Amino acid sequence: MKIEILGTGCPKCKKLSELTAEAIKELGVSAEITKVTDLNKFIDYGVILTPALVINGEVKVAGKVPSKKEITKWIEEKKNK
Amino acid sequence: MILDILMGGLSALKEYIALHVVTCLIPAFLLAGGIIAFTSRDIILKYLGVKAKNIISFPLAAISSIFIAVCSCTVIPVSAGIYRKGGAIAPAFILLWVAPASNLLAVIYTGTIIGYEMAGARIITAFVTAFVMGTVMYLSFHKEETERMIAGEKGGNDDKKIIAGKDIILLLLILFSLLSPNYLIIKGPYLYKVYVFTISISITFLYAYFVIKKDRISNWLKETWWFVKLIFPLLLMGVFIVGVIGKILPQQWIEHWLGGNSLRSSFLATLIGSISYFATMTEAPFVDTLMKLGMGKGPALALLLTGPGMSLPNMLAIIKIFGLKKASVYIVTMVILATLSGWFWGNYIFRR
Repeated sequence: MKIEILGTGCPKCKKLSELTAEAIKELGVSAEITKVTDLNKFIDYGVILTPALVINGEVKVAGKVPSKKEITKWIEEKKNK
Repeated sequence: MILDILMGGLSALKEYIALHVVTCLIPAFLLAGGIIAFTSRDIILKYLGVKAKNIISFPLAAISSIFIAVCSCTVIPVSAGIYRKGGAIAPAFILLWVAPASNLLAVIYTGTIIGYEMAGARIITAFVTAFVMGTVMYLSFHKEETERMIAGEKGGNDDKKIIAGKDIILLLLILFSLLSPNYLIIKGPYLYKVYVFTISISITFLYAYFVIKKDRISNWLKETWWFVKLIFPLLLMGVFIVGVIGKILPQQWIEHWLGGNSLRSSFLATLIGSISYFATMTEAPFVDTLMKLGMGKGPALALLLTGPGMSLPNMLAIIKIFGLKKASVYIVTMVILATLSGWFWGNYIFRR
């Protein structure tokens, strides 16, 4: 599974990375987390508001920090496919 | 001597923070958090991204700036996104300027500390300069922009509203808690203001408790807490530094270089503001301190706008995203406009 975190290094982006890492650890799935800071990449995903969470190329959330529960749900959905 | 300087810093903390925490900072943060939590910023941005006519997109960009970001750091990606997606160069730059120069938190704080006249001037000037700058950017780069334009409307077009009616009432109640202590009790002990505030904020929370869904309330408080965590430490540090600088700077210098409302004073104030980085809100106590030391009102306005509006790191980021040519036109235009507005307000509008 490929997870990308789009952000410019703002505190919210860091929080999102932390929560995502925790969620992955708790679920025990193998996933590769990449932090994307290149603004051009944001546009490719159509993301304007940071931070954003992208799982396997699909934008799950943009512009806010989701709860860990939500992140866990998204990862599980993708895992089961 | 050193003790004296430190005391200056501490007394600034007391004057600018302690006195304003309850009646200004708390409701201001709650309001900012509410705006982030209850408005759909992506929808506002969608309107900006499409090829709207200038007469619509200019004011729209300026007004929505208030709702979108608080400091220059968060506005840069947003502005870059609008620019890349729709090729709307003028709205992108308007956002880049207005969002930090006249954001909600900073304007409220300016009003409390320096006065509502200055806060109003700050908003009006930010808008007027934004429109002029937007026109300059449009005329300079319009041709190459239309060639580059890519219609990039991604994502489903669901019919979400910008904000729900119930939420607007909540935002208005917060706004009322923010304004009522300072307007109902203009002269009178601080404690009275606290009483008024306690009553109005209780009404606000009761309304929220009975009308707004629980998860939305928690979302609102979470966003508010983000603002507090992000801005409050910077504000404390900034205000302390302001107090120290106020002790160190000789009054004659300020009077000489920044006093009066001449073009030169206004230009120097603009330069200081454009180059140095001010965390959101810290520019207000800084300008207030300089005004007490003799800075004119016109230069004060110029500094209030450019302080948060532009900074060296901000310029570098803009160059990286928009290219040197567009960034230079923007920066030079803004320096000229800020200088002129300081001079104009100082000489024709702020009468002594």
